[in-house]
Amino acid sequence: MPRVLWLALLLFGLAQPAWADRMELIEKRGAVVIGVKTDFPPFGMLDSDGRLVGFEVDMATDFARRLGVSARLVGVSSANRLQKLEDGEIDLLIATLGDTSERRKIATIVEPPYYASGATVLLRPGIEADEWADLRGKTICATQGALYNKPMRQRFMLDLKVYNGTRDPLLALRNGACAGWLYDATAIANEMKHPDLAGYRAPLGQVLTSPWAAAVARSERGGALERAVGDAIADWHREGFLLELERKWAVPPTRFLADARDDWSRKDPAGAWLCQRQPSGEWNAACRNPALLTPSDVNGLYRLALQIREAVKLDITVLYDPYDQWIFLRGILLTLQLVAVIVLGTLVAGAVVGAVLGARIPVVSQAFGAVIAVIRTTPPLLQIYIFYFWLGAVAADHGFEIGGFFAAAMGLALYNGAALGNVLAEAASVARERHSPLGRAGLVETVRLAWEPLVSIAINGVRMTGMASTVAVPEVINAAAGISSEHGNADVMMNLLMVVYVVIILIMMKLFAVLKKGMHRVAG
Amino acid sequence: MSPAEIVTALWKWTPYLAGGFLWNILISLASVGIGTAAGVLLAVMRTSRRRLLQRIALGLTAAARTLPTFVLLFYFAFLFPVEIEIAGAVYSFPAWIKVSLALGVAVAGFVSDNFTAALLAWRARHHAAALIFVPAWTTYSLMTALASTTGSVVGVDEIVSRSNAVIAALDDTGMMVWVYLYAGAWFTVVCLPLITLSQRFKRRLAARAVEATGRQAERVGEKTT
Repeated sequence: MPRVLWLALLLFGLAQPAWADRMELIEKRGAVVIGVKTDFPPFGMLDSDGRLVGFEVDMATDFARRLGVSARLVGVSSANRLQKLEDGEIDLLIATLGDTSERRKIATIVEPPYYASGATVLLRPGIEADEWADLRGKTICATQGALYNKPMRQRFMLDLKVYNGTRDPLLALRNGACAGWLYDATAIANEMKHPDLAGYRAPLGQVLTSPWAAAVARSERGGALERAVGDAIADWHREGFLLELERKWAVPPTRFLADARDDWSRKDPAGAWLCQRQPSGEWNAACRNPALLTPSDVNGLYRLALQIREAVKLDITVLYDPYDQWIFLRGILLTLQLVAVIVLGTLVAGAVVGAVLGARIPVVSQAFGAVIAVIRTTPPLLQIYIFYFWLGAVAADHGFEIGGFFAAAMGLALYNGAALGNVLAEAASVARERHSPLGRAGLVETVRLAWEPLVSIAINGVRMTGMASTVAVPEVINAAAGISSEHGNADVMMNLLMVVYVVIILIMMKLFAVLKKGMHRVAG
Repeated sequence: MSPAEIVTALWKWTPYLAGGFLWNILISLASVGIGTAAGVLLAVMRTSRRRLLQRIALGLTAAARTLPTFVLLFYFAFLFPVEIEIAGAVYSFPAWIKVSLALGVAVAGFVSDNFTAALLAWRARHHAAALIFVPAWTTYSLMTALASTTGSVVGVDEIVSRSNAVIAALDDTGMMVWVYLYAGAWFTVVCLPLITLSQRFKRRLAARAVEATGRQAERVGEKTT
């Protein structure tokens, strides 16, 4: 079926329109769209009425006030924030984004930074560590898209389990899925106030401290929007607005904000600001972060990939970045394992359900049928969540661990198995008309009658495998989303992802076709 | 938490969750609408006498059957623009429409296969066999409603997204499973009676269809998904 691949390639050409000037768009719509965190108290969070509030939300609101437009706030996560910026869904990002040279390639980082924080690890009670090296080889939960995941994994050989957002890794930590949670030190200090986390400690201090900066899209470099944001942040340092917010939101006081206020308030003898924009539009070098000014060194393969990027705007990082290669290959491997377990699970569950329903035992079959009907009409995504979070917590109390892999496989096998069971029971009742009792010939007839829906239900299970990504299984969707959130190459990764899936599905269809031939031979 | 407290908490958040469920209904209607229109068009092309039209329709149907919906969801969410300008005005291209399009692809594949079978049966005057399309389509549409919850993954404010928001607001791990079960119950209550009815309808039609076509397999399951 090469037609399918051909169609996938056809979809390759989709691109997004670029605005000539973002500032013009903002004025046209009368609102500035700002991405803020929803799960990073006290910087961006939801209050009891479901409204966005926090340190960064106050910054966003004040910025809109300065422009004289309304502020439209959009919740973003670490994993999707840069993508949303690149897509143009948001104009401006104020979402605990650490400034790195890697990120400067995929977004316009606005200077000056407005805060600074580093990474630390929150350890479960009973886990001892005096230095980072003590965590070597331990399983550590982490949040997707956080900039320190990669260096910490490489430097200290941590076995990272990467989750979405802050809630999921924290729950996983409490369920015993990992020894610690690697995350931003400011956020962890805030979480430790929670009474549920009594006994949890963060003994290792901060590493990889980096300044936090607002960001606008890559295409906005040097534009009016970047300038307006930078001017606002400089003013905030000078007016002490950020120090005020620090007190208002009870953030532990940092040296960074106090120093920045002093630096940005300094004047020359003539009374002009020392930190000023140069004719180029950039702040004078003394007021910038020197560590980030040097261009990163590139080797041969990297340069080749960059040339491809220049020429056709495709950044195929899996070609040259060994880390991305490893993540992507592991993702494909895990997806294959999931596919195998889900298809087998669906067939086994279907056979069991079909047998019980088809046995027509009074009361038992009917009661069972009702349970199956509920399973068939509950969204599979919810079933996975229920297995993962609830069964996970129950199992943790008894010393077991239910991982995302198991929860997803179980949820999908059960959902599709319930559908298959109904079909098999239907087929059996038709087969009984000619084969009573059912016997071997009747069973063969049952499978023959049910074959077409059986295959489509099993293939459906394969197509739903990606749902495992919602419970932090690092399968191929998770891998592709993770890579594109670090490099901003969603076009390449999404197409690669689609090709991988289509190939897997075609192989499974072929397998079932072979199986059918084999069955015909057995049935004579 | 006592059962009374659980019920009170769920009751308090019911209007909020109901608002999310409206999004699920909207997405389901949109995706079934888009998918059915496209699928009927493909079926008409497949049954036409022009070989070229048949081939194109078969190819597109194979693609719709094969492309995994959950991956398409990410594909559309990541690669389709967020705002489009038409004649100087800025229109947004919201996530729920992208989700509806992604879900609609599978519906189109299903309708293409089943409506083709129905058209052929009708032309052969096997009217009961042709009418099996109606209950099969109903069941498939309800399954699409269940799949609309995957919109939560790309940021649509539907019932699962709102369940997560409720769980975060309640800040009690013990409530988590109850909120999820409650959200699931909304789907069961709406879908189960409709599915039961359409299955009963289908069995009656299928029994009559077998007399006409002689294919016992008509009585089991649907053609393809």
